[in-house]
Amino acid sequence: MKQTFLRASLGLLLGAATITARPALAADVVELKQPNAAKVVVMLRFQNGSASDPKGKEGLAYLTSQLVTEGGTKELTASQLKDKLYPMAVRYGARTDKEVTTFTFEFHRDFLDQFYPVLKGLMLTPSFTPEDFARLKSNQLNYVEQVIRASSDEDYSKFALEDQLFRGTRYQHMTRGTAAGVQSLTLDDVKKFYAAAYGKNNLTIGLSGNYPESFVQKLKKDMDALPTATVKPDVPKAAAPKGVQVEIVSKPDALGSAVYAGFPIETTRAKDDFAALMVANSFLGEHRKSYGKLYDKIRTARSMNYGDYSYIEWYEAGGNNMLPVPGVPRHANYASIWIRPVQIAEGLRKQYPAELGDLKVGQAPFALRLALREMDGLVKNGMSKEDFELTRTFLRSYTKLYGLTSAKQLGFLLDSKFYGRKDWLQELDGQLAKLTLDDVNKAIKKYWQVQNMYVTIVTDDSEAQPLAEVLKTNTASPMSYAKVVREGLPKEILAEDEQVATYKLNVTNVKVVDTKDTFK
Amino acid sequence: MKHAFRSLGLAASLLTAAAPTTRAQQAAAKGAFPYAIEQSQLPNGLKIVTVPYASPGLASVFLVVRAGSRDEVEAGKTGFAHFFEHVMFRGTEKYSKEQYDEVLKSLGAAANANTSLDRTVYHMTGNARMLDKMLEVEADRFQHLKYSEHDFKTEAGAVKGEYTKNSASLYTQLNEKVADAAFDQHTYEHTTMGFFKDVVDMPNQYAYSKTFFDRFYRPEYTTLLVVGDVKAAEVNQLAQKYFSGWQRGSYVPNMKAEPAQTAPRYVHIQNANFPPFLSLSYKGPAFSDQSKDLPALDVLMTMLFAENSELYQQLVVKEQKVRFVGGAPNMTRDPYLTSIRASVVKADDIPYVKQRIVQALEDAKTKPIDQKKLADTKSALKYGNLMSLDAPDNIANALSEFIWLSGDAQSVNRYYGLYDQVTAADIQAAAQKYFVPEHLTVGTIGPKDTGGVQ
Repeated sequence: MKQTFLRASLGLLLGAATITARPALAADVVELKQPNAAKVVVMLRFQNGSASDPKGKEGLAYLTSQLVTEGGTKELTASQLKDKLYPMAVRYGARTDKEVTTFTFEFHRDFLDQFYPVLKGLMLTPSFTPEDFARLKSNQLNYVEQVIRASSDEDYSKFALEDQLFRGTRYQHMTRGTAAGVQSLTLDDVKKFYAAAYGKNNLTIGLSGNYPESFVQKLKKDMDALPTATVKPDVPKAAAPKGVQVEIVSKPDALGSAVYAGFPIETTRAKDDFAALMVANSFLGEHRKSYGKLYDKIRTARSMNYGDYSYIEWYEAGGNNMLPVPGVPRHANYASIWIRPVQIAEGLRKQYPAELGDLKVGQAPFALRLALREMDGLVKNGMSKEDFELTRTFLRSYTKLYGLTSAKQLGFLLDSKFYGRKDWLQELDGQLAKLTLDDVNKAIKKYWQVQNMYVTIVTDDSEAQPLAEVLKTNTASPMSYAKVVREGLPKEILAEDEQVATYKLNVTNVKVVDTKDTFK
Repeated sequence: MKHAFRSLGLAASLLTAAAPTTRAQQAAAKGAFPYAIEQSQLPNGLKIVTVPYASPGLASVFLVVRAGSRDEVEAGKTGFAHFFEHVMFRGTEKYSKEQYDEVLKSLGAAANANTSLDRTVYHMTGNARMLDKMLEVEADRFQHLKYSEHDFKTEAGAVKGEYTKNSASLYTQLNEKVADAAFDQHTYEHTTMGFFKDVVDMPNQYAYSKTFFDRFYRPEYTTLLVVGDVKAAEVNQLAQKYFSGWQRGSYVPNMKAEPAQTAPRYVHIQNANFPPFLSLSYKGPAFSDQSKDLPALDVLMTMLFAENSELYQQLVVKEQKVRFVGGAPNMTRDPYLTSIRASVVKADDIPYVKQRIVQALEDAKTKPIDQKKLADTKSALKYGNLMSLDAPDNIANALSEFIWLSGDAQSVNRYYGLYDQVTAADIQAAAQKYFVPEHLTVGTIGPKDTGGVQ
């Protein structure tokens, strides 16, 4: 595939904090031409997201982007527009993350001329009707108030971790906002935010697929009619907490305990040592792979849950995505550990009344101890040469799968620009090739530690208090095996269990929060 | 439109434990599948399908086993097809679990598996130059899987963990109840995860697991599908090299036919802290690449629930009583459910929303269909399909569906060919045949102790 990069303007600097008041800066264009493709992808990336939400208006960036793509234009009402687009099977939508909002339009090349006026109308003259506003606001509020609490405890624990990690900053709230924030939103807020956040000076245009050169020029010229953006995301500098601070979210009828732990790190794809940390992270807990140490020890050997992984940047919708998706680049970064729901005491007592009938606490404390002990081991001992080589080989192939579709390739190119790179995926291979074991072990020591972090556990109300007690008092938490599993375990595992059960967590605070009180 | 696709995707995901595809992305009018399909077969029955596709250096390798939760015919063994998918990662004589992982890691491929009603699919996307190794390790575990009783029991805990994770969703819970209520005899009464009591009992089923492997992990149940930067000759030669020693089996499950349903059925979940929800599931047709029933239902339901439809505009946009509404027929080997789902703003409106949807289905039985709308819908389905076939794994996913449904990849062309022939009269006939009030199972989620629709 031929990749062409046009840097139309040098005026746009990179990074969220670099938006200036200089007027009339034209948008940058990133192109990925594929003359044989059936489809065209247009991405419009603005450097504003939920971290640009005004105080008290949490959820505004998200609602604004939804209203742009769900509504009509000056020429066509939403319903006329949907009629027109119906036979074309055009797909479009917005993704709002903390610092960027990306509008993605995917259409068949047959419809380039017919669809373009709609795209232009949506971006430049969105209809913003009170009816669409009421409907989308209601849906967003419903998500924040109800859906997130009762759909996936894994997403729930992840958002709750960010709530702790970034408390008091503009990164704290979910991109969909808080209950109070969404409630307060008005149509006037949306109109103002649209005018202030989506400007030609903070726009990068991405194009891929099969389109004529004249299309690029037309799109660029038309988007030049956007105003100059006057807001920018407020990027926090999160500090590590003192000790391990745990928040347990208690909810009725949860079958398991979903655990997320994390701490800020000061590296991103912008830095060269990120590739070194990628190797360590892949070894410890590559997403949805059975090769990671966490997965191996928690799931494969001990059968405690469905999977266990580690991260060194935000991973969008990890429960659904097997490979990372673009569109979520961030300057404020953290490392994290994801332990998928493990059994609670109530469930184990019911399943194995004879051997586990007296159990007071489920497997969450053991799983957390085991995960942190693994990370700790890497910090203290580093990786071996053999593990380093194999993991690097894996990543050099695996990262080539990140851009399987043209839309994903284009998205990663736009993310590259965010981080001040030309083509991160391509550069990454060179960075990985150059790495030494020493680079990786230095990166581990520089960025990872287990003494200071936040932990969030979403669990059943029967489990919350006993779990809090164990963590608060650092009580030993022996692994609670069923007899059928324990019988066949090798001695090494049982010996390791002894170590894990009493592995000291530097817990300094444990708080139980009722589910009703989250994301208010 | 993204949102329409997303809500349909949600609807589809309610039906399977780990369904990777959505019905919304299937279907095309003419020319059908846009890539050449090259097929061959080994004497032992293994089918080999190659689709060359310009993805430089990359290929997707799929092994499609035509055994899913449908084939769990014995009481107490529900969820076993899915459980077995897990067991398949536990190693062989030649490659222990650790060695298998090491090989996969060195391949740098994205590899995983998933199970649904009618099939189990093992997939790997990676470096096309590593095809030899990919097929070697896959052929090895399909023929020589070896796991200890301890490993088996250990894996059962992971499956319970998966059930635990899924159960957090009320949609999953409702889906279980609807299937259980709608079917009495056929194995579609349980979801792919299985009944919870059977999941809990899995550690005790080691002996049965051997039987399961012996029955279904056989060449006549399996198709090897490779899509990407490969040539058919290379794939065929490697398949011969690694799979030709695989012995054919003889097992055929004894499926019980579901008797005709004679009255509507109702299930309900009481929960005051969740968006009220309504699902209407009618008994639908089995997949066939000869009958226009499914294509006609697909066209009709696309028309009825698209964002520009009268129903959507009324319920979602104007009255704002519904957050989303969507529906699509399911493609299954045996007759399953054709489901419509709506997230309702106020629980008190559930009866009204049900009445409106049922009215739209009734109207479809008698009111003539607008020809332009019909043509537009066929166009929407065709372009939706074409746009989704843009990467080797997406193409393999789409094609594998036809492999498990009919056993023949070319079925994709025959099936999509039918869309061209669908007429307004076919649509009316399909509506009359399938939207039968007595064949309905209603599922609701709401704050009261009933859904209020009975």
